[in-house]
Amino acid sequence: MEEIRSFETIQFIVIKIGDEQYGIDIKYIDNIVRMQHITRVPKVAPYLKGVINLRGEVIPVMSIRLKMDLPEDEITKATRIIILKLEQYGMIGVIVDEVKEVVTLDNSQIERVAYDNKEEKTNYINGIGKYEGGLISLLDLNTVTLEKENV
Amino acid sequence: MDVSQYLEIFLDETKEHLQNLNTQIMTLEQEPENADTINEIFRAAHSLKGMAGTMGYKRMQTLTHDMENVFSEVRNGTIKVRGNMIDILFQCLDALEEYLASIQETADEGTNDNEPLIKALNAILKGSDGDAAKEEKAEKKEEAPAKELEGPETSEGAGWQEIKLGNTEQNVIREAVSQGKSVFGLTVSVQEACILKAARSFLVFKALEELGEIIVSVPSTQDIEDEKFDLDFSVIVITDRDLDTVTKAALSVSEIEKVVGGKVTVEPGEEKEEPAVVTASADPDQKETAVSEPSSQAVSVAAAPAKPAAKPAGDKKPVSKPVVNRTVRVDIEKLDALMNLVSELIIAKNSLVSASNVGTGNSNLFNEQIEYLENVTTNLHESVMKVRMVPIESVVQKFPRMIRDLSKKLNKKMELYMSGEETELDRTVVDEIGDPLMHLLRNSADHGLESAQLRKERGKPEAGSIYLDAYQDGNNVVIEVKDDGNGIDVEAVKNKAIERGVITPEQAENMSDKEIIDLLFNAGFSTAKKVSDVSGRGVGLDVVKSKIESLSGEVEVKSKLGEGSTWTIRLPLTLAIIQALMVDVGGEKYAISLGSIQTIEDITKDDIKLVQANEVIHLRGTVIPLIRLSDVLDIESKKSSDDDLLVVIVKKGDKLAGLVVDELMGQQEIVIKSMGKYINKCKFISGATILGDGEVALILDANALI
Repeated sequence: MEEIRSFETIQFIVIKIGDEQYGIDIKYIDNIVRMQHITRVPKVAPYLKGVINLRGEVIPVMSIRLKMDLPEDEITKATRIIILKLEQYGMIGVIVDEVKEVVTLDNSQIERVAYDNKEEKTNYINGIGKYEGGLISLLDLNTVTLEKENV
Repeated sequence: MDVSQYLEIFLDETKEHLQNLNTQIMTLEQEPENADTINEIFRAAHSLKGMAGTMGYKRMQTLTHDMENVFSEVRNGTIKVRGNMIDILFQCLDALEEYLASIQETADEGTNDNEPLIKALNAILKGSDGDAAKEEKAEKKEEAPAKELEGPETSEGAGWQEIKLGNTEQNVIREAVSQGKSVFGLTVSVQEACILKAARSFLVFKALEELGEIIVSVPSTQDIEDEKFDLDFSVIVITDRDLDTVTKAALSVSEIEKVVGGKVTVEPGEEKEEPAVVTASADPDQKETAVSEPSSQAVSVAAAPAKPAAKPAGDKKPVSKPVVNRTVRVDIEKLDALMNLVSELIIAKNSLVSASNVGTGNSNLFNEQIEYLENVTTNLHESVMKVRMVPIESVVQKFPRMIRDLSKKLNKKMELYMSGEETELDRTVVDEIGDPLMHLLRNSADHGLESAQLRKERGKPEAGSIYLDAYQDGNNVVIEVKDDGNGIDVEAVKNKAIERGVITPEQAENMSDKEIIDLLFNAGFSTAKKVSDVSGRGVGLDVVKSKIESLSGEVEVKSKLGEGSTWTIRLPLTLAIIQALMVDVGGEKYAISLGSIQTIEDITKDDIKLVQANEVIHLRGTVIPLIRLSDVLDIESKKSSDDDLLVVIVKKGDKLAGLVVDELMGQQEIVIKSMGKYINKCKFISGATILGDGEVALILDANALI
């Protein structure tokens, strides 16, 4: 599917999970906070780490690592919680290893990933951004936050 | 006149009046001779008509006008209350409700003229005989249009006769009369072409003040100065001159079209609650021939209905005069905002408390201040909550009418007995509870109560009884719908469930009666042999259940075949802030609502007994199942298995359970926060709260655990 408006630019926040760089569309981001105490909620999917207090509101926090079947988060000084604001679920926090920078990509720098429905494994990215020689996987927040029933 | 801004008030008040009419007509049916009721009905109908007229809803006005005529005849004793008349009146109320519904949706009353009803009303009127009545009616007809003509151009209608006098003014008037002075009411109309209305009226005021003292003016002097009136204004003047002089003085100001005046008298009685009825006489149609002598035949329009209304109330002792609630309508959003502020205040207070615990805290002053703050927040919280509380009366008072209609429709005799209408619930809950209750009542009336014949065979009184009881129980409000009908036939339910494929016959074998009865709450389940439009579509009970659960309440049913059934709805009193016990389980903090806690017990390991491999304790004669929170919450308890156990006994209705916790952390006022849609899979966590140190603690729903 080719975009017609080729000069449209999108800003992404570049985060690191493990060794890989991911991009999150800035329009979904409400806030970025430091790692803080997360209150565990029993009987929910393991990737849901619990809830935090964000200025008086209770916000659920999930681990992208666990959602993607990666090893458990290692909490370091660089660990951040990115608060996403989604239409469907409201505010959700996701834990990332590090927040690096904000980049602006136009459509020529984004390569859409063909989505294969038959593929068993859920695809968490919907594009790859090329930026200064590196590659950024652009997260598809809908699939990332989609509830997984197999737990 | 743009009236759209009043639409909401109009809707609210009309609803109130309609409800009032419903109730009063019900009473009238029981006691056709009750003069108080008739007066009350007349008043409500009259206000309805007035409001509909002001808002420009002509059809509504016409219908209420005819209804009012009927009531007026009833009050005069020319028509007797009969059964079919009551039916027609109820139909009129339904028609009015339809208008109202249409207005609510489209701001338009629709096009239904309800001709048959109006004809029926007129037929009732004609049925009344006696020349007096006819004459009076003719007179009324004549006067009514005259009044309406005046209506559109002046917002004040009948002018000075409608001025309501407060206590002070009445006293002033009485005093003036006793000093031999006269009190006149004047309605001054300014010419339509007049440009400087304010200036003209100022001159009128000035002229009048030279002759006497102006004690009341409508609109207020301020509004008149600001030209906030249409074409006329009314005043009441105390003077020692006669009416002629006074009217002439007012007329001497140029561009004044006409001045209508009359003598004002105040009844000497001291009715404090009621605004005084201004009885007056006036010659309504002229300019210069104002008469100072009251002429007895020219009783004014306003005075005519008012006088008889006042009389019975005066003669009889006020038996059941409804106490008018002094209310202010507040936008619920504003209340919510206030509520949020209170929540924040409480959180701030909690963090102060924890700060004082952390610091070495040698200052007593600090603690004193915190206690003071605590006092303030608690009181503030209570009063805000109280503002949100409304009696369930507003919902349940429509039920007697509904049962009456059902009784006719189903051809069963039944009585509804209500108690606890004054029980208060959060406004949001009250708004939602009407439909579920209606379903349950219909259910009782249709399925519950047997036919008269069957009742006789069973030795029950012919008329079935339905009870609606509401009362407060701890932190809950309980509403019970009870009938003395047939009760639930467990076998029938079971067979139906198997037939419908809800359960298999094997499953049915193992189910207790209670479990089977609970099947009634499944979607698409109805045991009525025939579907009627009263109930039996099988959408009722599951809707009831889901609705109640969405309000964090629950519904239960107990039934005995042949003796009747009881439906119990249990609702939380408040939704936002609760008193809670904080407990520690495996190092995590949880809150348990204080309202559901019965006692807290310290038990030893030996007290635990096993029943069917479940742990129970035997406490003061009751066997209570134990729930180890550490197991339920998937966490390691900090205690070793040999230690004594700390058990929080919680209750749900008459069921008890013991929750094993590691440690008690004390009582705290907590603000319930939703955890969002994303994380609501956990059934026994009812929400979260933010503690003083900013940490989030989860709230355990004891009801879901039992």
